[in-house]
Amino acid sequence: MSKVCQTVQVQNGNKAVSDILPVLPLHIRHMLINLPQSIKENVEEIRIRQGRPLVLGLSGEDVFLDPGGKPVKLAVDAYKVTAKDMERLIQLISGSSIYALEEELKNGFITLPGGHRAGITGKAVLEKGTVRTLKYFSGCNIRVCREITGAASGLMPYLINKKCRDIYHTLLISPPRCGKTTVLRDIIRQISSGIPGLELPGLAVGLVDERSEIAGCYKGVPQLDVGVRTDVLDGCPKAEGMMMLLRSMSPRVIAADEIGRREDVDALEEVLNAGVKVLITAHGSSLADLVERPVMEKVINHKMVDRIVILSRFRGAGTIENIIDGKSLCSLGVIKC
Amino acid sequence: MLKLLGAAMVVAASGLCGIVMAGGYSRRPKELRYLRTALQMLETEVVYGATHLAEAMKQVGSRCDDAVGPLFCQTAGELSALTGVTAAEAWEKSLHNYYPGSALKPQDLLILRNLGASLGISDRDDQIKHLHLAMEQIKAETVAAEEEAARNVKLWSYLGFLGGLLLVLVLY
Repeated sequence: MSKVCQTVQVQNGNKAVSDILPVLPLHIRHMLINLPQSIKENVEEIRIRQGRPLVLGLSGEDVFLDPGGKPVKLAVDAYKVTAKDMERLIQLISGSSIYALEEELKNGFITLPGGHRAGITGKAVLEKGTVRTLKYFSGCNIRVCREITGAASGLMPYLINKKCRDIYHTLLISPPRCGKTTVLRDIIRQISSGIPGLELPGLAVGLVDERSEIAGCYKGVPQLDVGVRTDVLDGCPKAEGMMMLLRSMSPRVIAADEIGRREDVDALEEVLNAGVKVLITAHGSSLADLVERPVMEKVINHKMVDRIVILSRFRGAGTIENIIDGKSLCSLGVIKC
Repeated sequence: MLKLLGAAMVVAASGLCGIVMAGGYSRRPKELRYLRTALQMLETEVVYGATHLAEAMKQVGSRCDDAVGPLFCQTAGELSALTGVTAAEAWEKSLHNYYPGSALKPQDLLILRNLGASLGISDRDDQIKHLHLAMEQIKAETVAAEEEAARNVKLWSYLGFLGGLLLVLVLY
């Protein structure tokens, strides 16, 4: 059994936090600046809810911050977020341009410079039964984005077709929070920039980033490293985006996150028949899960992909649970690494 | 001869004073018109372009007349500095710097202040309403200012000139 080992290099945590500071109200900014280095490096989330304590989500636990910015364990000692803070925070996050972010608010999050994401809750304004926008903003969760360069290094040898100096059609399967997006981003980066060690020349990649999660685009410009030959279509519906890229950018590889609707799979078929490689992900924890879903069953049973990679949190986010050959549906013998 | 020269100088000086006063009156409607055009540009940027406010303000500031440009440019600067100010605060601060040097009256300032309080905090439809309201109010003020100007420009230019003549007669 071959072992896949990951060389992981986390983006400097300090920089990630200082990226976020400009969107915070001044006194909350000061609280974060004065945090000990050990905490700053581990901040994953900053949760700001009106009338409730200010919470920092670290890798394993939560801490509250008191008005002086000291981490405390008890909620009663914590700084309570005021309505004024909330109002100012929303204005700063949106750059005082709520009107320009209607689509983002409909989806419930705004992408910040640096690829960080601010999830927002409030009261939904409906129009004909669908959410038009949000108002009375009451909560905000700023998720610190940490790029993990090399998250997919162990995986790459299995995805490359050495004979054709090309990649295989690949499907990543993972439950939420298992590093699916991080791994996909790193695969895209490596394919796009080329891997000299594996004799893979850089390939032009077309990325449909419907939820702005992979490239973390801010005003259309990728904030995260997705490689030198990657064209990003930001915020575009996947099915439509794949066709647009196919027609306009002549990519060698098309990547998309969270395939799940029928039209996505139809577009996927088009792409496959056009001779372009696909790199896609889907929610699920095993092959059996996927076959239960009519849309995804088609992808598996019609043998649309060559490699199926299953991720889990077994050894932390991004653990490679299994790699399966798409044609024979047999494991390639990589388990839990 | 010397007396005649002095008299001419007195008339010229007071005539000039009158013209300057009249100029002050005709400046206000002009500035109000420029402001309305600038707000129209802002509306286009905000509503059709969905441009972020700082960028929209910068665009408007660089394209509109120099008489009102600094107001928009400074707001853009405040917003881009990322010092934690909201749009309303940035606008208020720029107004504070802009107003003393302008020909605007307190009621004009009030219109702009009210607009500032709602800048960028709501969806497109709401922004349109607030911008239109401000434009309508400015239009009404422009009409009033033009009438006032028409009356006062004439009055002050005559007053200056005739006042000079009167002074000459008294002193002669």
